[in-house]
Amino acid sequence: MPEPTTGPTRPPESAITPTRPLVRVTGAARHAWALLTDRPLSLYAVSVLRIGYGLLYLVFLLREFPHRDAIWGPGSPWTPDLARQLFDQTGWVSVLTLSDSRLYFELCYGAALVVSVLFLLGWRTRAVSVLFAVVVASFHARSIFMTDGGDNLVLLMALYLVLTASGRRWSLDARRARRTPAGRRRLPALPPQLGEARATLVTTVHNCGLLLIGVQVCFLYGAAGLYKVQGGTWGAGTALHYVLNLDLFQPWPALSHWADEQVLAIAVVGYLTVLLQVAFPFVLFGRLKYPVLTMLLGMHIGIAVLMGLPLFSGAMIIADAVFLPDRFWVAAGRLARRALGRTEEAQPEPAGAPEVSGALDDAGTPRGAVPQQGSPVSPVRDRP
Amino acid sequence: MLGGAATEHERTRVRSRAGNRVRRGVLNTAVALCLTTALTHIGLVFLHVAPSNAVSQRFNSQVDAWIYPLFEQNWRLFAPDPDSVNRQISARTAHTAPDGSVQVSRWTDLTAVDSSAIEHNAFPSHTSQNMLRRSWTSYVELHGGDDVPRSDRAVMMQRYLRNIAADRMAERDGKPFENIQLRVVTLPVAAPGSTDRDRRAAAAKNAETRLLPWWKVTSDA
Repeated sequence: MPEPTTGPTRPPESAITPTRPLVRVTGAARHAWALLTDRPLSLYAVSVLRIGYGLLYLVFLLREFPHRDAIWGPGSPWTPDLARQLFDQTGWVSVLTLSDSRLYFELCYGAALVVSVLFLLGWRTRAVSVLFAVVVASFHARSIFMTDGGDNLVLLMALYLVLTASGRRWSLDARRARRTPAGRRRLPALPPQLGEARATLVTTVHNCGLLLIGVQVCFLYGAAGLYKVQGGTWGAGTALHYVLNLDLFQPWPALSHWADEQVLAIAVVGYLTVLLQVAFPFVLFGRLKYPVLTMLLGMHIGIAVLMGLPLFSGAMIIADAVFLPDRFWVAAGRLARRALGRTEEAQPEPAGAPEVSGALDDAGTPRGAVPQQGSPVSPVRDRP
Repeated sequence: MLGGAATEHERTRVRSRAGNRVRRGVLNTAVALCLTTALTHIGLVFLHVAPSNAVSQRFNSQVDAWIYPLFEQNWRLFAPDPDSVNRQISARTAHTAPDGSVQVSRWTDLTAVDSSAIEHNAFPSHTSQNMLRRSWTSYVELHGGDDVPRSDRAVMMQRYLRNIAADRMAERDGKPFENIQLRVVTLPVAAPGSTDRDRRAAAAKNAETRLLPWWKVTSDA
């Protein structure tokens, strides 16, 4: 932000009243700057991503429990030697190739389970999010020739989530922050100016991370759609016929055959798929995003069931969730609480509940810059 | 006395204002740096994801240096066209008996094992859906039409494919073997509209068979 050049007699505040012609441009820039630095945006959405990817990875690790050695362990056909040789060529690193011992691998696998659980619960979130990214990158690199688009997306999101303050909502950290009086924070307070500067930086990095996540999902859909436009079968409306006849993506052959017989539906759904994917980046700033996200959700559920790709579809659905505003998540949380019959914790969380995650502690200064997300949540004490 | 206190106060104020300005400057620089890094990342990911073009060719080395290995990605999901073939990978093994005679096993359809593991399974394992399938596509990418490895990576991929097949054959009957051979039958998916019987006949008629050379199974398998 440009520091106003003020004479020694003029107080700095008066310099803000602008009369120059560039005022519009600077006004817009100032607005963008404020958007970037004033408050962390979409705190609920990134928390949903943290919970979603933590849970998804946990389920993945547990699902592959019987095959863990064949995928990531020393007994894999992609031997530790081959993996190390490839790492030398590509520059990857993985904690899994540090030792060939089976015991070491089992410890890594166990640690990965624990890290996934802690990540999804939001315990010391910032530090654990780094560990989660290390786990996902290590396991991904070790089994690079067994991965698919879903694994790829989970890796990218795990990396981007490190930048975000994903532990401020719906987490153990948030709960602890609520219960700890402001005066009794664990770490010694920073001097107020430093604390403020740190808060601004954390906010900026968070918002940049959020931007990366959003743009990444747009690139994904945009590329997937635009590359399809170049394919003849998508144009002819027969692409899904070929997809439905791939033996390895037919968990329910009878269902696949039945769907394959719906020739017109296949053409329509194929066209709709391409259209939705290409349109995706362009509808995000209007109301149209809700029907598009809903249709994409349906598409992903269809892929999960028909093609036996729940992990891939899950990764996509969670990524889409980043585009839902916080007022949606607040309302969803309220509904869920009501459905569960819980009345406690229905008040709005304190604005800017500080992230007390080891490295990052609030200086005890009230973060007044963080307004409430969306509409205030009214307590639902009248419900049982 | 009073005047002295006032100048002292004034000096502190000036000093703290200068300090504020420095702090603001540092902070604004840091914020600008964050934003620039994020935007650079976005630009480079775009060039990586987009088809090869004049810009991405010009900045090829920068894009690769930034993207690989962590941010590598490929979103050509079923694009430009989905696969229109099914590949059936089979293996057989050879064992030299102590008397010098060679026993060659019958073909085992490894892909059928994967398919049956996937059938009626809501959450198939990567070992059945991706392992053999992707090892073969990677092998073909690196070898092309013949089976002569021309790069380190091709040799590595050949070893991976051999290990997968050898592990599965060993798991299957536990009989010893020293050599293994793969056979890959490519069955095209029939065009839409044909009946089930037509389809199978057409697929069988247009099937292509690729027989790979015998590979030695070493102890690192």
